Amino acid sequence: MTSLPAYIARRLILLIFVLFGVTVLIFAITALVPVDVRAMLYVRNVQHTNPQQLMRIAEQYGLTRPLYEQYFTWIGQVLQGNLGFSKSAQQPVIQAILERWPYTFEIVLFAAPLIIFIGIYLGVQAAIHKDGIIDHATRVLSIIGWSLPSFWLGLILLSVFYGYLRWLPPGPLDPDLMNFRNTSPSFKRYTYIDLFDGLLNGRPDITLSVIKHLILPVIVIVTINVALLIRVMRSSMLEALGKPYTFAAKAKGLDDKTVIYRHARRNALIPVITLSGMLVAGMLGGLVITETVFAFGGLGQWAARAALNFDIPAVLGYAMLSAFIFVIANLIVDILYAYIDPRIRLV
Amino acid sequence: MDLGTKWKEIKVAWEPRIKEWKFMIKRMRESPLAILGLAIIIGFVIIACMAPILAPPTGPDPFILKVDTEFSVLTPQPTPPTVKHIFGTTGEQYDIYYACIWGTINAFRVGLLVVVIALIIGLILGVVAAYYGGIIDEILMRFTDIIIALPGLVLSMALVIAFPTIIPLDVTTIILVISAILSITFAAFKPERKFLLPTQIVLFASLLLYIYNPIVIGLNLSRLDKVLISLAIVGWPGYARLIRGEVLRVKNEDYIEAAKAAGSSDFRIIMKHILPNTIYPLLIVVTLDIGSIVLTAAALGFLGIGAEPNFADWGNIISRSRDWISSPDLLVKHYHTFLIPGIFITLFVLGWNLLGDALRDVLDPMIRRR
Repeated sequence: MTSLPAYIARRLILLIFVLFGVTVLIFAITALVPVDVRAMLYVRNVQHTNPQQLMRIAEQYGLTRPLYEQYFTWIGQVLQGNLGFSKSAQQPVIQAILERWPYTFEIVLFAAPLIIFIGIYLGVQAAIHKDGIIDHATRVLSIIGWSLPSFWLGLILLSVFYGYLRWLPPGPLDPDLMNFRNTSPSFKRYTYIDLFDGLLNGRPDITLSVIKHLILPVIVIVTINVALLIRVMRSSMLEALGKPYTFAAKAKGLDDKTVIYRHARRNALIPVITLSGMLVAGMLGGLVITETVFAFGGLGQWAARAALNFDIPAVLGYAMLSAFIFVIANLIVDILYAYIDPRIRLV
Repeated sequence: MDLGTKWKEIKVAWEPRIKEWKFMIKRMRESPLAILGLAIIIGFVIIACMAPILAPPTGPDPFILKVDTEFSVLTPQPTPPTVKHIFGTTGEQYDIYYACIWGTINAFRVGLLVVVIALIIGLILGVVAAYYGGIIDEILMRFTDIIIALPGLVLSMALVIAFPTIIPLDVTTIILVISAILSITFAAFKPERKFLLPTQIVLFASLLLYIYNPIVIGLNLSRLDKVLISLAIVGWPGYARLIRGEVLRVKNEDYIEAAKAAGSSDFRIIMKHILPNTIYPLLIVVTLDIGSIVLTAAALGFLGIGAEPNFADWGNIISRSRDWISSPDLLVKHYHTFLIPGIFITLFVLGWNLLGDALRDVLDPMIRRR
């Protein structure tokens, strides 16, 4: 058996390889773009440039050099934090990311725990009552949740709760509070996350407004993503309930509750931990749509608008960011996994 | 050999398969969800087949939506459902009913084409990785790791906007590479030598062409083609991994050893013994994937980077609804522009997901026959 530090070291080396691969893939996508289009990214006034000028610019910025040379120039810039300039946001990509992540973080902060708790709870209930009403109901509901287009669900929720009832408006914050937050000198932005800044500045109304604006996007994200977790938890729980240790626990005379929650569920949770890495990827993709529908102003909406305006550096910046988050989330999950279940380190 | 014995032979060979299918159909009929899923898909197939009758084409290309000029002059806003436009029109005065009907064909086309392309790539690379193992396996699997690290929607977004409209396709190089691979493969698989000579002639001819007169054609990509290619690029790693796992599972079974001992070539073992045994898990995943591919394509359409704006595509129709988000009155007033196409998308995806879910119960050897 390998020791835990050795396992972590091996995973870290693998991580570097995958991250290197991700940068190669992102660069390969850039290389798909025709040279003159790439040259246009350096031009402020596209209308007043002729093809000859574009070719000169392309040569000047080294876009005509061999691809591997271009890759090393590019990766050097990326390592210094220069991801290019986002035309749709009128600012450097890295600055656009730094400005927008708090909104996205707010959604994830509420959605992720909800997905995990609802998924585990319903999955366990479905497994305990196999072929019962709860099992069939969660099965049907998770298939429906899986099939719903997130933009459609969002638009319907928005037209009911905003259009018809006028309760839950889109956007990240009420406009007057947003204005106050941006202009008031007394309002200090400690964390740049309005949810916390409202409380830290003694303005709970801002925090409440944020929560009000979060309800619909979080519902959409949870509905779309929880189905997978329910299904995996159910099958993993069914497997655990059929294992000899469950029978042994029952034979000892333990009551059903202890057997289910302390013996079976604990073991059944292990594959679900692995799944949470995949969940991150699903959420980062889903956020593009959800944030667009609810005009939430986070990273996802920025990426969507960038794609519409052919703002290639911005879309690739978002892609690279999501890949990094995914890879690092998976690393954390794998280490946790090896820590919880020593059997995994055997491989 | 007379016909009678031949027929008997076929019957003996097919009997277990027919029995298996009968068992499958029996299990499927016991599940109401499977029936529902199948009914939904058959309903959509009927709509797709009847499209020219349900919504007579308005131009030479039936997928190109036509503007209703009678309205567009008077109203720049969507018109609610009327007798003439039973689902109403969009802001550009495209008839939503027409777009939904022809969008059904488009959804089948997107779902099936992407699955087939991704499956072919995944099948070849997955089998190669598993059967030959070693460094090839390691490289291919790390490559799939990288693609899977990016959320599918984000990667397809990036690819769709990065693809050039005209791809210079170097035909000579492609023929050269393919014939080179084929010659090596046929040289390695001994009994298939009869194909070796033709491929080597092609290889030689393309080599001459490559040196003296390379042929390059400009391949014109429509926006829909870009979506299809991007979704296939996003989709193949999943299949490659699944197939690799399945091949590894059956590779060391006794019947493969027996086939090897009997002198079968690698090619024959893969085609006759390994692939048929991996078909059931694939069938489940493919069915579930068609739904998710159509969902992703619709999401791209909603973001405004799917097919051309005047193309009959469900996501495209909803795409315009992004303009009503900030206004509660317009959201309620123009509900028909997103509600109706959304029902089409949801039902279509639901049909495939229900069917795939039922197939998993029926086909998964671990949980069936209980």
